Amino acid sequence: MNRATRIAVIVAMAIAVLAPIGLVVYQSFLDGPFFQPKISFTLDAYEFVLDDEDFFDALYNSAVIALGMTLIAVPVGALLAFLMTRTDLPGRRWIEPVILVPMFVSSVVLAFGFVVSLGPAGFVTLWFKGVFGFVPWYLYSKTTLIVIAGLTHVPHVFLYTSSALRSLGSDVEEAARMTGAGPLRTALTVSLPMVMPNILYAAVLVFFLGFELFGLPLVLGDPEGILVLATYLYKLTNKLGTPSYQLMAVVVVAIICIALPLVALQRFLLRAANRYVSVKGKAAAQKPVSIGVWRWPAAAMIAAWLLFTVVVPISGLVLRAFVSSWGEGVNLLDVLTLAHFRELMEFPNLTRGIVNTLLIASVGGALSVGVYTMLNLAAHRWQSGWTKLMDYLVLLPRAMPGLVAGLAIFWVFLFTPFLSPLRQTMIAIWVAYTLVWLAYGMRLVSGALLQIGPELEEAGRIVGASPGRVSRDLTIPLVKVGLFSSWLLIFVTFMREYSTGVYLLAPGTEVIGSLLVSLWGTGAVDLVTALSTVNIAMIGGGLLLMSLFGKRSHG
Amino acid sequence: MRTKLALLVATALTISIPAFTAGTAQAQSVPAGYDPAYAKIIEAANQEGALSIYSATDAAAVSELLKGFEALYPKIKLEYADQNSTEMYNRFISEAAANTGTTDLMWSSAMDLQMKLVNDGYAQSYSSPESKSIPDWANYKNEAFGTTAEPIVFAYNKRVVPAADVPKTHADLAKLLAEKPDAYKGKVTSYDPERSGVGFLYITQDVQANKNTWDLVKAMGQTGVKLYTSSGAMIERLTSGEHTIGYNMIGSYVFERQHKDPESLGVVLPSDYTIVMSRIAFIPKGAKHPNAAKLFLDYLLSKQGQQAMQARYMGSIRTDLASANPTAGVPESTLRPIHVGPELLTYLDQVKRLKFLKDWQKSLQGK
Repeated sequence: MNRATRIAVIVAMAIAVLAPIGLVVYQSFLDGPFFQPKISFTLDAYEFVLDDEDFFDALYNSAVIALGMTLIAVPVGALLAFLMTRTDLPGRRWIEPVILVPMFVSSVVLAFGFVVSLGPAGFVTLWFKGVFGFVPWYLYSKTTLIVIAGLTHVPHVFLYTSSALRSLGSDVEEAARMTGAGPLRTALTVSLPMVMPNILYAAVLVFFLGFELFGLPLVLGDPEGILVLATYLYKLTNKLGTPSYQLMAVVVVAIICIALPLVALQRFLLRAANRYVSVKGKAAAQKPVSIGVWRWPAAAMIAAWLLFTVVVPISGLVLRAFVSSWGEGVNLLDVLTLAHFRELMEFPNLTRGIVNTLLIASVGGALSVGVYTMLNLAAHRWQSGWTKLMDYLVLLPRAMPGLVAGLAIFWVFLFTPFLSPLRQTMIAIWVAYTLVWLAYGMRLVSGALLQIGPELEEAGRIVGASPGRVSRDLTIPLVKVGLFSSWLLIFVTFMREYSTGVYLLAPGTEVIGSLLVSLWGTGAVDLVTALSTVNIAMIGGGLLLMSLFGKRSHG
Repeated sequence: MRTKLALLVATALTISIPAFTAGTAQAQSVPAGYDPAYAKIIEAANQEGALSIYSATDAAAVSELLKGFEALYPKIKLEYADQNSTEMYNRFISEAAANTGTTDLMWSSAMDLQMKLVNDGYAQSYSSPESKSIPDWANYKNEAFGTTAEPIVFAYNKRVVPAADVPKTHADLAKLLAEKPDAYKGKVTSYDPERSGVGFLYITQDVQANKNTWDLVKAMGQTGVKLYTSSGAMIERLTSGEHTIGYNMIGSYVFERQHKDPESLGVVLPSDYTIVMSRIAFIPKGAKHPNAAKLFLDYLLSKQGQQAMQARYMGSIRTDLASANPTAGVPESTLRPIHVGPELLTYLDQVKRLKFLKDWQKSLQGK
């Protein structure tokens, strides 16, 4: 890309990011909705929020949860990635798709699955109580929330790290093994440090996602009233009776204030990123590390993790979809029913929702990866103030909890004349999704790009290729695997995204995630679980196809 | 033989032709009892050809209702968008401010938010031909209409709560909790008025109806009541036995669930007083299809529409259908309908609202 194109791309992105964010920041200084005729500037909203005990409570909880889940998700995710991509662990190809399942399921639904399984009247709990006479856990505590949030975010770290590990030559590992290092030592001192930038990216993002966490605390924090920043918005809205945008905006500003130093930290950590360039001019064949007897503890770890994060909640959820009642004193065999699925058939938006969701995740996801790649190429190998600006910009949309982001993007579409006709189309939803997951997708693609040795591109330029040609014929083909797994991640993310689309939802543009949220709100748990089961079955089918396809393309 | 047949055909024609032409002239026939001039509204609505509804009632629960309307007026394309009541409110005021035209009908259980919109001048007045069949408290200046009569109830888990414990009145519940604090520790559930608008509405109604409400709140606080934002979450946990008694539950949701799972869930309409809530509908001034909206509002209040909702346990507002309501056996004097009117705005006043929440907190903590 030449300089002018790069700047144009970055400016376009800046506008897209700053329009909704700017709107929200502006809103935080007003005394009423920005679109009302008589409004004035004031700091009242800040005063109100900073005066509110609940805010600090929520802030503290968010910080603790974010830190805790990062400390859990990063080591487990990184180790899992090493085991799956670099070792001869048996059955890897079949386990891998399953690892992604917690990401596919909307977190509200996943959390509800935990309630059915491990809640005080959950079936695992009742079974455990029956056998051992006591129950050592309580599902609605902050600690449980941290553990669940941490373990369910493992796939994020896994995907970032594994995509980087895949493009790593195995010569260094072989060298380590030859000098007598065990597999764990090799992982910890050789392979994982090589992809440290990706792991750190993932760590910062997971930490940050902790501040944006909504579905898990909504369901699991409800009985004990545990508030985090995103659920605090409920309390805030209700405090004054009518939604008070200026107060919500202040919370967003607070999250932005947390985000900016994180980006600075990330930049600092990445200054040495080129130390880790691993795909160089010389082709290196990949050879899995043999882990010998270590395969048993490794397999046990994976099995335990899968049992807890996939089997337990999903079986709870699926079970709930097939019974009319559960819990104390219920014999599940007596209450089996297919009625919820029959009821689902009467639900007119369902088929549209399914088609739209598949469409936005597959086609929309691919387009988004295209956008993220463009943006990355614009900044690739360019030391400039522009790219620094970009690093800060990409994380901003995620600073808004999904609901607020959806609302802000809804406003941008509503109040921008040439955009308003698009408001009730899938395009608006796609823009919203792309924007909200910008940081995510960008990091995925850049993780892959960072590993391309500059000498390859230099070689391209020396033989006379234009910058565009270098990108098209060299850089992109080299990161193909990275792009494919980015698309996979974006696909799953879009598939389960739920809060962003709520305001953009219109008859004809329903997506499953938003339907689930509205059904959950009205208490139609039967339908929620049945719809989720259908959704999971769809995903299962998709994963199966994908792993078959993956086998062919690898083999 | 032949003449007989000819005669038959002729008779058939003479009978059916006038009936046929009458049918088309009056276009989809004005509902019985309506002014013939109503045909003009129908015609205008057919010209508009579309109708957009924002609703807080999920589409699955009203599918029969909507099908009924579509059968009556097949030329009107119905767009029904269900969302939560806060989102509805946000979306509505934003769209109104952007001047791009709003939805044609707002229909929500958040009575206070609906009344606020009406009070802020967003509603247009329409004198529905059905309004004579609904009580005065459900009609505010022909601008806002209560469309359902849904009791706010106690719900309990039949398998776990012994029959002798089941509270019949608010005082019973307070007494039960005071006498058996251990048995009901963490077992009572209700809306959190600090996080849920409807929960706030019902508890403020309690305070107006019953001077001992704060004692009840205190008793609930002492047994460690679990407070939620969603009725679905509460009902689910009640049926599982995680909680055993639910306070201030929306009757229609509980009855619906009880119908599917009669073994688990019991319902009590408190005999000292039972609050009755209503889903409020109004036609916005900015409606793009006001005539279609009028047809829908009339249909919503009509016998047919109300029966469709009754079938899904949303009690009818109509006086002539009251006998089929869940409140049918309850003496009129104990019913406390939440009036559709400006009183609903009381607690949208920030100072009063925060004061009430503080009182709630204090009682809950036993102070």
